[in-house]
Amino acid sequence: MNAHNFIDKNKKITVTINGKTCHSTFGKTILQIARENDIYIPTMCYLTKVLPIGSCRMCMVKVDGVDGFILSCQEKATDGAVIYTQTDTLYKERQNIMKLYGVNHPLECGVCDKSGECDLQNKTTEFDIKEQNFTARDQARPVENWGHVSYDPSLCIMCEKCVRVSTEITGDEALQVKFGGYSSSIINVKKEKNYASLGEAAAVCPVGALVSTNFKYTSNAWELDKIPSSCPHCGGGCQMYYEVKRDKIYRVTNNYEFTSMCGAARFGFDYANQGVAKDAKAFEAAVKAFENAGSILFSSMISNEEAFILQKLKEKHGCKLISHEARAYQKFMQSYSRISGKNLYNGTLKALSESKGIIVLGSKINDDAPIVKYHINMASKWHRARVAYLHPIEDTEIKNIVTQFIKYEAGSEEGVAALLAEVLLQEAELPESIRSFLNDLDIGNLSAECNVGEEELFALKQSLSKKSGFSLVVGADLYAHPRAAHIAKIIALFEKYADFNVLCIPPAGNAMGVSLICELDDTIEGPTVGYNVLADFTLSALGGGDLDMPAMNQQEGTLTTFDKRVVPMHVALPYGGYVLNDIANALGLKAAYTIDYTKELPQSKGFKGIEFDRLPDSFDLVGNENRGYLLQSTEIKTDEMLEEVLDIEEFDGAVVYCCNAAEQFSPFTAKCDLLDNKTALWGSQQFAMVAKLQEGDRISFTIDGVCFSRMFKIDTSMKGTIALNPTFDMGLSSALLSSYRFSRLEFERVGRS
Amino acid sequence: MSKIVFSTWRDEFIDNRGKSSEELSESAFKLPEAYHGDRDSKAFIGWDGVAIFDEDIDAVELASQYAAQYQQYSEACGRCAPGRWGGRILYDLLDKIARGEGSHEDIVHLKEISQTMMMTSKCEIGKTVPKPILDLMEHYKDQFDDAINYQKPSKHYRGDTSYIAKVTAPCTDMCPSHVDIPAYIEGVRDMLFGDSLAATRQTMPLAHTCGRVCPHPCEDACRRANLDAPISIMELKRMGADYETDHGLPWHHPYTPKPLRNDGKKVAIIGAGPAGLTAAYYLALEGVKVDIFEELPVLGGEVAVGVPEYRMPIDKYNKDIELVTSLEAVDVYSNHRVNAERLKEIDAEYDATLLAFGTRLSKKVYAHNENQKMGGYWGAIAMLDQVNLWNKYKIGEPASNQLKDKVVVCVGGGFTSMDVVRCSIREGARKVIMLYRRDEKTIIRNTTYEEYHEAVEEGVEFIFHSAVEEIFDDGEKITKLKVNRFELVPDPNGGRAELVKIEGGDFEIECDYLIPAVSQAADLQLLPEEWNIELTSWNTLLTNGKDYMTSRPGLFAAGDCEYGPMTIVNAVGQAKRAASVISRYIYEGKTSLTDNEIMEDHLAKLKVYDKNEKITGWMPGLPRAVSEKLGVDERKTNNKEVNLGFSGEEAIAEAERCMRCYYISMVAV
Repeated sequence: MNAHNFIDKNKKITVTINGKTCHSTFGKTILQIARENDIYIPTMCYLTKVLPIGSCRMCMVKVDGVDGFILSCQEKATDGAVIYTQTDTLYKERQNIMKLYGVNHPLECGVCDKSGECDLQNKTTEFDIKEQNFTARDQARPVENWGHVSYDPSLCIMCEKCVRVSTEITGDEALQVKFGGYSSSIINVKKEKNYASLGEAAAVCPVGALVSTNFKYTSNAWELDKIPSSCPHCGGGCQMYYEVKRDKIYRVTNNYEFTSMCGAARFGFDYANQGVAKDAKAFEAAVKAFENAGSILFSSMISNEEAFILQKLKEKHGCKLISHEARAYQKFMQSYSRISGKNLYNGTLKALSESKGIIVLGSKINDDAPIVKYHINMASKWHRARVAYLHPIEDTEIKNIVTQFIKYEAGSEEGVAALLAEVLLQEAELPESIRSFLNDLDIGNLSAECNVGEEELFALKQSLSKKSGFSLVVGADLYAHPRAAHIAKIIALFEKYADFNVLCIPPAGNAMGVSLICELDDTIEGPTVGYNVLADFTLSALGGGDLDMPAMNQQEGTLTTFDKRVVPMHVALPYGGYVLNDIANALGLKAAYTIDYTKELPQSKGFKGIEFDRLPDSFDLVGNENRGYLLQSTEIKTDEMLEEVLDIEEFDGAVVYCCNAAEQFSPFTAKCDLLDNKTALWGSQQFAMVAKLQEGDRISFTIDGVCFSRMFKIDTSMKGTIALNPTFDMGLSSALLSSYRFSRLEFERVGRS
Repeated sequence: MSKIVFSTWRDEFIDNRGKSSEELSESAFKLPEAYHGDRDSKAFIGWDGVAIFDEDIDAVELASQYAAQYQQYSEACGRCAPGRWGGRILYDLLDKIARGEGSHEDIVHLKEISQTMMMTSKCEIGKTVPKPILDLMEHYKDQFDDAINYQKPSKHYRGDTSYIAKVTAPCTDMCPSHVDIPAYIEGVRDMLFGDSLAATRQTMPLAHTCGRVCPHPCEDACRRANLDAPISIMELKRMGADYETDHGLPWHHPYTPKPLRNDGKKVAIIGAGPAGLTAAYYLALEGVKVDIFEELPVLGGEVAVGVPEYRMPIDKYNKDIELVTSLEAVDVYSNHRVNAERLKEIDAEYDATLLAFGTRLSKKVYAHNENQKMGGYWGAIAMLDQVNLWNKYKIGEPASNQLKDKVVVCVGGGFTSMDVVRCSIREGARKVIMLYRRDEKTIIRNTTYEEYHEAVEEGVEFIFHSAVEEIFDDGEKITKLKVNRFELVPDPNGGRAELVKIEGGDFEIECDYLIPAVSQAADLQLLPEEWNIELTSWNTLLTNGKDYMTSRPGLFAAGDCEYGPMTIVNAVGQAKRAASVISRYIYEGKTSLTDNEIMEDHLAKLKVYDKNEKITGWMPGLPRAVSEKLGVDERKTNNKEVNLGFSGEEAIAEAERCMRCYYISMVAV
């Protein structure tokens, strides 16, 4: 093998910056080393989470023995380099650059959204720019409204951060630089899509050029209180700030320098249950309902602490705890652990973003977990990752990321997992029982059953050859699959025996936390109390239940993220009613505040006994995350028994797939004004033919007892006989859905419109 | 007699103003004093200085027009703060002075903005544009002062002088196809791989191919070499092509192909190799109807049947071919051998014909008893045809039928001979020997370091300073060779060392096969005798090397059949130019060059790369990326692609080493 590893990242180097000796490793840029050592170098276009852009030139430094200035954001430091970040000439040139940025920049700071937190404003004062001696003819440039965000080219300094975020992070690839020298601008080449992910691009804009359309001209930045928190929508628990003034959330921002979030986090914030007062009567009824309850039903929109309270109530009163999605996930992970020997999967988002090969199985990842898709995109851009997307439905939205789409038959996930294992674990060292399980697989038959060609699998294997750093991402299609337990074991083989970074994306909200904290049950017994689920007695943060509850942005507590991190949420908006802890106290538990339970979360499952108020919530200077804490994986006794792969149930004819559109996750996101909440049953022309439906037909059908009434619409970008059925708009019924995401469509025609 | 008036080009300082004819200095550089035909240049201005050929030059307008060109061309750049605003200010101030509205304060600002641009710009275009402007402001100060003091327009302001500009870069200039290398590298740096590919395809349709098997002359003109080591230019080209193929994306053409013109005009191309495909591509993008006639059953020419699978996987090359053949305007006729009769028909039927049939006759080694019909005597072209037709298309039979367990001797020293010996290893030969007249250093220079070392690793035995004197046979097949040995004797007068035969150094090699791969010749059977086509002294088709028309009007030639056996990138470059000339010829009935092409030729003559230039503003000592290769045991018994290409991280780090050495040059005519 050639020595092709040209940047030896283990090589220790020492450089001197402004006289200070700095130890680091080769491959890091001068700017990175400076920041590690708390040495300031001014920048206008540098964004830590993307690769160096190099457009502003402010970060230039002087290096001994090298003529000219060196671009510190991009140039790697070499051993022994003697670097100066501040010299008179540098100061003068930086001043001139700031003057250039000021040429024809409109003097409208008074009404600009960015005023008070604007890099241009800050650096103009920092560099003492008192006069402008450069001029150029101005140009007329109209403001553009792109939907979620608006763009004002005359304010734009062409730092290109937004383009990089759109390319490297979110992968929507909507933003591009329109070259043109002085008249360069940013263009949106996918205006028709109105990506909420563009909020992420707006977040990094150092000036007021790219702003949230909704927020524009509503408040001065400095009047808003920043409440740090974590997003509860999908299980990503992304870092965020609610920006609040007089009991109203104006916008959501984040620590964009180091972390990202999806459009739901950024624009899905107005779901609070406001205007609620304490209703003593309803409260008494609730306490009574709990006392009599045979089962407590709850959704995954719940904090770790609340889940813990429910678990305590179960222990005290012997009621059943029912949370369908979390239960399926819990069983899946329990089975997974029997192979992996750990209660948690090994995967992390960081390792995912550093992968050279990624397999996605059983998730419409772009819609199920946008932040996971972002990390896959990062791997695609930074590491040329091969991305194999295995799913019954092709997703054209991620064509730019996927290198191989393998379509399989709905229902055949067990067979597909087995085929993957057979092909990819050929060189792995396996125990006898597992090797013979793989050897005994009837590949021809499986391949026919799943409708996955052997040549496709061969091509997949080929594409991963000679590369290490693989990730396997699996999702919600698997958890409620009738063969979930066995699929979990096959998936775990990749972690245990092939060094894959495996992520089992939780199916909803805080399902991971719930699955770790609660002993969940399978069947409902006796009278029911529902928490954000329709039941005999319903507690609802959506309003309209028997007793109101606070929404997630009205409570303190923690979430468990799919990065296996316990992160804090804080109160963004006040809540006047009763909370679950009040009921628990009435039922004999004792805690002044819900967050008194944070330190009591089960350490046997990996939680730590840290008090809520002691949870850290920050990033260090170079972007290392220090939010909450990481769960500690615990050992599980293994059992390497694998079973025969069963033939699949036929899924012929018209099939529906329960799947929310991008940026919609639950009835809480459904409440948010800024998110697109259109619903329909979306299918291809082919689906329409098979189901004998026409565009505009209204039909009704039932899944798990939940009755859907849907307009059918044709989506010309879709193929095949599977239609997409959103569930986020089903209110308190949403959480009742418990079965496999694909089902045969049996419907009644209701009408036409 | 030089008519140079003034020059600051490349630190040469000439000022002949007001001097008598005996005192005149001449320039050491091939400056474009004559523009084209009978059009003279008044001045040449560029990244390295300014040269004035006309005493009556309007220096103020020249400066302002140069700044204006920067504005116009800044689409290629305009991506850093100092370049973007600085360039605009430069032009606004210069034009203000030129139209008679300037002040001395503007001169101060001009100098200040120039300084900032030169110190802080992202690419060389921003760093170098102020240089000749400052030269003019200094040495033609009186013209600037006049315009300011008298508030009058400069002396020929908005007169009839034309300013013709071209953006180039040292690598682009050196590349025979003039690929916009900094642009495709920037595409990799920005992770906009589609943009990278589209930039390559402006002048180079075979991105997969020239991202894998190009001998990359560009890297010899990479300014980064002045600092540490050249950019791995060639391999970065592959990133865009692999991206398009891996993601199954629609073709990234440099621009949307124009609809088929349907005006009755059509062009014939003889040969579907790199030259033929390239010409077809650029004609078809313009909507010109093209028919390609190919003798072989497969498309792609020598890259298909000559270059082995392990260097150039056919599924990747087929993507390059498909890019061309997918265009509406292109039709291909394979298995269609063109002889003299057929060529006459084609010539009569088509508005222009491009000969691009390569050189497919293996030359002899000129040894005693050399009989090309003798068993065991196997020309490299025929041998590689058999290897590749079987391995890539399952046509014919495997060459292992002949070569397994045999002793193979190849005589060569270039890429073809490397392909012969490495294929012989893969076909199971027991022993493979390469005889080469010169030394190891030269074989590396002729091919690449990687190619030579990989061959050695795979077990090829190289015998340098050797040549076959006599071939022995048993009447049916070759049995052994008598080989002379030579030594390099240095010339005592410091001239080129001479190869001298070592007396008594001869030896014999017993072998089963002798594969001559010394060179190839063009098969000229298809030229009708009565056309009396002019040939070069080495029997290739003669053109002027600018418009690629042969001595017969309407008959063009490009690629190896014109130049002699050369590189893919050379064939592509010639064919691209020929296509451009043909696209006008079929309407105008005469050949012509565009200003861009004229400037391209001027710059090639002047030479853009300066190996003595000192680089500033870049951190030296960042290593050149080397891609991962298959280990010798993983590759020598199969045809798997040896070079696995860059990882994403390697590619981006390598792209970040690129200094974006764009330059603007401009001629005043």
